[in-house]
Amino acid sequence: MKKVMQVFITVFLAAFALVGVTSYLNSSNGYSGADTLTVYNWGDYIDPDLIDKFQRETGIKVVYETFDSNEAMLTKIARGGTAFDIVIPSDYAINKMKAEGMLIRLDHSKIPNLKHIDPRFLDLSFDEGNKYSIPYFWGTMGIIYNPELTQGKEFSSWEALWDTDLRSEILLVDSAREVIGVGLNSLGYSLNDTDTDHLQEAYRKLCELTPNVKAIVGDEIKMLLANEEAAVGVVWSGDAAIIMDENDKLDYVIPSEGSMVWLDNIVIPRTARNIEGAHLFINFILDPENSAQNTEYVGYATPNAAALEYLPEEITGDERFYPGPDVTDNLEVLANLGKRMLGYYNELFLEFKMHRKRA
Amino acid sequence: MSNNSKKPGAAIAIYLVVVFVILYAPILYLAYYSFNSGGSMHSFEGFTLEWYGEVFQDTRLVIILLNTLAIALFSAAISTMIGALGAIAITHVKSKQFRSALLTLNNVLIVSPDVIIGASFLILFAAMGLKLGFTSVLVSHIAFSVPIVVLMVLPKLQEMSPTLIYAARDLGATRWDVLSRVIVPYISPGIFAGFFMALTYSLDDFAVTFFVTGDGFSTLSVEIYSRARQGISLTINALSTLIFLVTLVLAVGYYAINTRTIVLGRSARTGRPARVEAGE
Repeated sequence: MKKVMQVFITVFLAAFALVGVTSYLNSSNGYSGADTLTVYNWGDYIDPDLIDKFQRETGIKVVYETFDSNEAMLTKIARGGTAFDIVIPSDYAINKMKAEGMLIRLDHSKIPNLKHIDPRFLDLSFDEGNKYSIPYFWGTMGIIYNPELTQGKEFSSWEALWDTDLRSEILLVDSAREVIGVGLNSLGYSLNDTDTDHLQEAYRKLCELTPNVKAIVGDEIKMLLANEEAAVGVVWSGDAAIIMDENDKLDYVIPSEGSMVWLDNIVIPRTARNIEGAHLFINFILDPENSAQNTEYVGYATPNAAALEYLPEEITGDERFYPGPDVTDNLEVLANLGKRMLGYYNELFLEFKMHRKRA
Repeated sequence: MSNNSKKPGAAIAIYLVVVFVILYAPILYLAYYSFNSGGSMHSFEGFTLEWYGEVFQDTRLVIILLNTLAIALFSAAISTMIGALGAIAITHVKSKQFRSALLTLNNVLIVSPDVIIGASFLILFAAMGLKLGFTSVLVSHIAFSVPIVVLMVLPKLQEMSPTLIYAARDLGATRWDVLSRVIVPYISPGIFAGFFMALTYSLDDFAVTFFVTGDGFSTLSVEIYSRARQGISLTINALSTLIFLVTLVLAVGYYAINTRTIVLGRSARTGRPARVEAGE
């Protein structure tokens, strides 16, 4: 008994010592002080130097936590027990958060730098008047292709995907709205079409695409395309930029029929503790110079018009990632179609995926 | 039998070597690239300890590492106490049916999927309004470790002759004396085995922990998962190699303690042949 007790006492002492060391490390890093700001963002989606700069300028310690999908972020915030002050969700997630009362109304008087944002990206359907959200980065959806493997084929139209030369060469993202959207766009309909006849038509058109589809994949689409496992991919521009960074043979186009535009946005969730600090942070990020620095680090397109001056011409002049108004006029933001319509989209997408198996 | 034994012996050796090589190859492959200066797992360019340096410069990672160890030690110690007492209680249950029912309930917890345990804890904590963090992780780790400890301690209790207890009572021992001087020393190898099992279970648990971490608190396996999702960095290789080494040390420690208790047991009870002790 004595020996057993001794061992257990040692174990407890060791464990308490560990807890002591951790809480010391925590406090010396300011992770648990009063004046902290918890940022909940996608992995590697902000320049860490900017966080340091913000901490130096304001004295507020920043805790940075990451999520890997909007859904994971939504459930984590909805179930409570968290204290995030800043969250950066995509456009459609903002709809949901708004509907569920998860967001705090922004005080625009505390965000003077809002004036730098390009009006093209303000007052969009998911948050009219930008009452709850501020654009962070934006991008499009398009076709990435490998000219070496496609023998100089043109991809300026969605129709190009249906080319019989592309048997089992196309990778699609595993996302219902995006893929059905390709079908709708190729027929000249809106991405947010709710007419079931149009949707059925798009579905039938997509089924004809199945012989060309090699796989419908998630995040690994980047790796597969960079490693030349497939010649063509339907991807978001952000992913395209990363793929082209790794393999510069590939090229990206936004098809002329129109496509989708996405925005990631900064919001303050209802659970925030440091609302004052959150506004300071948003204003800090919107500062043109900071925004330019962040854009160079992240590699996505910034909606901050004033920041473009601080960015090199080779970035801002790239029409593929900074398309002009003539192209963006043709692009649509995904609108919230309601639960029933979304279910219908998902069902069609599921049937499309099943169809592939039968083919 | 002996004249034929040479050939199967070689076959067995080859079989074992092949199986172990297959089992360890992925880990060794990963560990090998943790020393790669090239920055990716495509080609090995040169030896570097840069990634290990990065692991230790990352304060958040060090904090998480210490948290993980603290959780493992606490949960293993607490669940060992609960589990050992529980095992003793189970052997004292008179009704055979009730006893086997209890045992079955215990085993169900071991075989039920971690995901379900994790999800149900998450729901429970949310309903209770308990904030996710150190406490929630600790509680859930204790919960899934207790059945394992029970299972490790029970055989020792069953193998213990009841006459030992009768003798002690005859000689005037109180109930407490019986527990602390007879039962616990006898089952201590089982207790330590349970402790080490609980320790390793807690260290490498992902599924349950994934559900109940929150508010900045994380353990290594969850952190590695979220880092691996973000992109391939060799710091993950370095970190995984370190964890593998820790687990290895624990396994060796477990082995050492096990053999030591056998040796001690033999010297303490000189009359009995060593073979019986070793054969437990």
